[in-house]
Amino acid sequence: MRFIGLRLARGLLTLWFAVTVTFFLVRLLPGDPVLAVADPNMTEELRLKLLADFGLDRPLGVQYIDYLGQLLQGNLGMSFRQSIPVTTVLMDRLPWTLILTASAMVVTILLGIPLGVLAATKAKGWVDRVIQLTGVTAQSLFVPSVGIFLMYVMGVWLGWFPIGGAVDLDATGFAATLSMLHHLVLPCLSLVLIQLGGYVLTMRTTLIDALGEDYVSLAKSKGVRPGTVVWKHALRNALLPTTTIAGLQLGTLVGGAVLTETIYAYPGIGRAIYEAVGQLDFPVLQGAFVLLAAAVVVANLITDVAYGILDPRVRTS
Amino acid sequence: MTAVAVDLTPRQRTWTSFRRNPLGVGSAIVLILLALTAICAPLIAPFPEGYGADTSQPPSAAHWFGTDDIGQDVFAQVVWGTRVSMAVGVSASVLAIVIGLLIGVSAAYFRRLDTPLGVLVDLSLSLPVLPLMILVAALAGPSVRTLAVVIALFSWPEVARVVRSQAMAIVPMPFVSAAKVVGGSSLWIVRKHLLPGVIPVVGVSVVLTTSRAVLAEAGLSFLGLGDPNSWSWGTILHKAQQSGALASAWWTTLFPSLAILLLVLSTTLLSVAYNDARNHRNGS
Amino acid sequence: MRRAIAFAALAAALAACAPSVPGSSGSSGSSSSQAPASADRLTIGTTADVVNFNPLVGNSRTDSWVTNLMYPHLTQMDATGKRVPYLATEWSYSEDGKTATAKLRDDMKWSDGKPVTADDVVFSVSAVQKEKFGVVAGLITALDKAEAVSPTEVRFNLTRPDGTFLDNVGFWLPIVPKHVFEKAPSVQKFANDANWVSAGPFKLTKVERGQRYIMERVDDFGPGTPAVKEVVFRVFPDVNTEVLALRNGEIDVIGNVLPPATATDLKNDTSVKLQEIPSLGWAHLQYNTKRKPMDDVRVRQALAHAVDYEAIRNIALKGFAKSSNSSVLTPSLPQWTDPAAKEYAFDPEQSKKLLTEAGVANLSLNMIYDQADPNIARWAPMVRDSAKKAGITIKLQGLERNTYLDKTAKRDFDIYAGSWAVMDNPPANLGLAFKSGGFINYAQVSDPKLDDLIDKAQQSLTVEDAKAPIQEAARLISDQVYDNVLYVETFNVAHSAKWTGFQPMPSELLSILNPLSLASAKPAGS
Repeated sequence: MRFIGLRLARGLLTLWFAVTVTFFLVRLLPGDPVLAVADPNMTEELRLKLLADFGLDRPLGVQYIDYLGQLLQGNLGMSFRQSIPVTTVLMDRLPWTLILTASAMVVTILLGIPLGVLAATKAKGWVDRVIQLTGVTAQSLFVPSVGIFLMYVMGVWLGWFPIGGAVDLDATGFAATLSMLHHLVLPCLSLVLIQLGGYVLTMRTTLIDALGEDYVSLAKSKGVRPGTVVWKHALRNALLPTTTIAGLQLGTLVGGAVLTETIYAYPGIGRAIYEAVGQLDFPVLQGAFVLLAAAVVVANLITDVAYGILDPRVRTS
Repeated sequence: MTAVAVDLTPRQRTWTSFRRNPLGVGSAIVLILLALTAICAPLIAPFPEGYGADTSQPPSAAHWFGTDDIGQDVFAQVVWGTRVSMAVGVSASVLAIVIGLLIGVSAAYFRRLDTPLGVLVDLSLSLPVLPLMILVAALAGPSVRTLAVVIALFSWPEVARVVRSQAMAIVPMPFVSAAKVVGGSSLWIVRKHLLPGVIPVVGVSVVLTTSRAVLAEAGLSFLGLGDPNSWSWGTILHKAQQSGALASAWWTTLFPSLAILLLVLSTTLLSVAYNDARNHRNGS
Repeated sequence: MRRAIAFAALAAALAACAPSVPGSSGSSGSSSSQAPASADRLTIGTTADVVNFNPLVGNSRTDSWVTNLMYPHLTQMDATGKRVPYLATEWSYSEDGKTATAKLRDDMKWSDGKPVTADDVVFSVSAVQKEKFGVVAGLITALDKAEAVSPTEVRFNLTRPDGTFLDNVGFWLPIVPKHVFEKAPSVQKFANDANWVSAGPFKLTKVERGQRYIMERVDDFGPGTPAVKEVVFRVFPDVNTEVLALRNGEIDVIGNVLPPATATDLKNDTSVKLQEIPSLGWAHLQYNTKRKPMDDVRVRQALAHAVDYEAIRNIALKGFAKSSNSSVLTPSLPQWTDPAAKEYAFDPEQSKKLLTEAGVANLSLNMIYDQADPNIARWAPMVRDSAKKAGITIKLQGLERNTYLDKTAKRDFDIYAGSWAVMDNPPANLGLAFKSGGFINYAQVSDPKLDDLIDKAQQSLTVEDAKAPIQEAARLISDQVYDNVLYVETFNVAHSAKWTGFQPMPSELLSILNPLSLASAKPAGS
C-alpha cells in the first residue's frame, strides 16, 4: 500500500511538472494569440480588449497560479478560438486517440510476444534472423511515408481501405463498429509497425537470458517439457521488461499518434495539438498536454502495479 | 558460448565476434558510405537551387531520382539532405549523450543527487516528446541548430537512465572504494573508473539516439518546422507534400523515405550486432 | 482499482465511438467510386475544422465555407467582382452620400420559422459596430447608426460620404438571427456551437469534430431549392490525401485551391474536372519604406528591376498566374484596371545603375515569408537568386505562420513577401493598405498625395467617379514601388466529373463553394 502511495505521489509530481513546463513553454511561443484569433485588420483598442478577455494582460505568475487553481477544480478554461470549454474540445477527440493507441498497443503486444518467443527459442536460426530484421526494419520506417504508401496502395489501388477519417457517415449500430474498425486498420498498422520491433527485440533478449538462468536449467533437468519451460517459467520473467517497455512506450506511442493522426485525418488529440500550435490556442494546448501527461502517469502506475503482481520482490522492497 | 581464443583482449573479442555478423558489417559499410556522401556532397552533385525547365520528371538517366515541381534534381536534394540529416542526427546525439553521461554519472556517484536527478529523468521521460518538440521548434524558429538542440533536449533522459544503472554497478566495486580511500579526487575516479565502465553502454546509446534523432528531424521538418534554407530528407518530403505531389510524383517521396530508412535501419542493426558481439564476449 | 478506472474509460470511449446517424442508409466509401452520382449527397474535402461557428467571428476558410451556407449576406459577387442581389434586392446612396439604403427580399426565413427582417440586419451590423470585432469592424468606420425603416428596408446613416460602404457591408457582413444572438451577453463570445438557427440554402445538422460537418438542404430557401439533398464537409490532413480521396470516389469536390503542380497533374485525369477561379488578391513584395536605404525610391526601383516576374509565374505558379502590370488594380476587377500600367522589367543592369545613383553598395536585406504558404515557399528562393544577379543579397527568413504574422504586425522586416487574399473594392482596400497608419500598411507608406487621392476615391459614390483618383493612386504606388505586385493567381479547384452546374466566383472564399453555386450543383447527366 505504501508502495502505491509513493507511486501516486510521484505521479502527481510528474503531472505538476508537465503542467508547469507546458504552461510556460506555450506562453513563450512567438506570435500574438490575439493576432492568430482575430483578423489582422483590427484596432489596437480591440487587441487590448481581447488580451484582457483571454486573461493574458496579467503578470505570468498570476496567470500560472490562477491556472493551477482552476485545474484543481477540473476547469481547463475556454478555447481562445472556438469560444467553448477546452474539456468539450478534448472530450470530442479523446475517444479516438484512446481507440487508436489502445488497439495499436494490444495488437503490438499480441504480435510482439509470440514473435519474440519464437525468435528466442530459435535463436541464431533463420527464423530468428527474419523476425529480427523485420522488426528492426519496421521500427525504422518514417510514419508519413508509410502512411502515404499504405493509403495509395491499399486505398486507391486495391480499394480495400478508406482514405482517412474514422467512421462512415451512414453506418449505424453494428455497421458503425465495423466501419470504425475498417478505418482503424491503416493508422493502427502504421503505429504497430513502428512499435513492434522494440517489443520483439526486448522479449527475445530477455527470454534468451532467462533461458540461461539456473532455475530454467533445473526445470529442464527435471524433465519438464521444453515448451512448458519456455511458456511457464522463462516467459514470466521475460514479461517484466516487456511491461516496462509498454509503460515507457506510451510516450512514444502518443508522439507517433500525432504524426499518424495527422497523416490519416484521424480526429484525435494529436491532430488537435498540431492545430492548436498553429492557432496559438493556449488553453487547448495546455489541456491536451495535461491530458497526455495524465495518461502517461496512469499507464506508468498500472505498469508498476502489474510489475508488482508479476514480481513479488518489488512489492516488498 | 562461442570458442574464442583466450589471449584476446575483450575489445578484440568483441571485434572478432562482430566481424562474423554479416548484418553488422553490412550496416557499418552503409553508414560509412552515407557519411562519405554527406562529406563529399559538393563533389557528387551541385547544391539544389534555382529552377529548371524539366519539372516533375520521373527518374531518367539525366535525373536519377527525377525532378521536383520546379525542376530541381531530387538526387541532388537527397545527397545534400544526407548532410543535414546526418549532421542533425549526430550532433543531437552527441549533445544528448554528453548531458545524459553527466547526469547519469553524477546520479550514480554522488548519492545525494540520485533521488532528485532520478525524479527529473522520470519526469522528462513521461512528457509527450513529439508534441513538445513541435512546441519548442515553433518557439525557437526554424534552423538546423535549433533542431539539433531541441532533439537533444528530449533525448538525454534515456541515455541518463542507462548510464546511471551501469554506473551504479561500478560504484560499489572494491577498486572504486580503494581509490576513494587513497584520496583520489572525484573527478579522477569518475574519469579513470566510471567512464571506461559506462562507455560500452553509451556506444549503443549513441547509435540508437542518432537514429531516433534522424527520425525526429524528419518528422519536424515534415511538419514544416525545419530549416527553409537547407535541404534535409524531411524538408524534401515537406516540399513534396506542399506541392501536392506526395502520391503522384512518387519519386519525390520514395527516395528521401528510402534514405531515412537506410540510415535508421543500418544504425539500429549496427547497435544490435554490437550488442550481440559484446554478449558473446560476456558469455565466453 | 486503477485498472478498473482505465477499463471503464476505455469502455466509455468505445461506446462514444459508435455514433448513430438517424435516417440515412446505404454505404459510402470506396465502393461508390463506380456508381453514378446521386443528388442525395455532395461531399467536399477541406483541410481544416470549423474553428468557430459564429459567422461574425470565424475567419478561417472552412469557417466561411460552412457559415456562408447558413447565414445570408446582403449581396453576392459576380465573376468580375460586381455585387449582385442576395438578401438585398436593391441598394443605393442618397445625393450627399451620407445615407445608404438597402431593400430586402421578403421570402427568406430562419430555420425556426421566423422571417428574416431588417431588424436582423440592423442587429448584426450594430453588434459588430458596438463590440468591434471581425473583418467587418474595420470596414464600417463611417457608420453612425443603422435603423430598420420597415421589415424589408434598412437605412445606414453615415458620418461621412463613403462610396465603399454598401459594397463592404453587403459582401462581408453575415446576417445573424437577432432573436438567437441577442440572448448572448457578448455576441463576439457567443460560440453558436449547437441548435443553429440559420437562413441559407443549407442548414447544419451534425458536427463530428475532426471528421465532418453535415448540412441538409432547406426546401423553402427563397432564391430557389437546392438540387442536392445533403452537403458534407470532410476533414483531411492535406491536399495530397484529398486528391487520393477524390480519385477514390470518397469525395466529390476538393474545397481547397490546388497547388499548381497538382493542378497540372489532374488536368489529364478524365474523371476530374478543374474549374479556374480568378483571385481577388495578389502576391507581392513590400519594402519597408521606414528602413534605410529603402526609404530611397531608387533603391526600391532597383529591387523591383531585380525580380524575374515571368519565371515566377511560369515556373513556381506553372503558368496559373496573370501579370498585373505592377499595378494594384488587378485584371480580376476589369472595371478598375488601368490600361496604361506597365510591369517593371527584369533588368539587373538597370538595378545596378539605380543603386549606384543612390550611392548604395553591397545591399543586403532580409525577407520574411510564411513557410507554410506553398507558393511563396516556392518563389522566395527565386527572388533571392534573381536579386543576386543585380548584386543584391537577400536572406530568406521562412517563418512559422504566427511568427510571420507577429513580425508583419510589428513591421519588423526589410522585405515582406506575401499575398493578400481578397481585395474586392480598391478604394476601401487601398485605404487600409497604403494610407498613413492603415491597418495593413506593412510598407509604412506615408504619402500625403496618396492619402488625398484615396480619400477622394472613397467619397465618390460610383465606380465612374472613383476611377480617376484611384487609378492615379495606383500609378503613384507603382512608380514609388510602395507595393511590388508580382502576379494574380488563377486558382484551380477540382471536382468529380460526375457533378456539374457549379457557379464559380472569384476568390478562394467563394470559389465553387459559394451558396448559390452549391444550391445549383447537380449530378452530371441528370
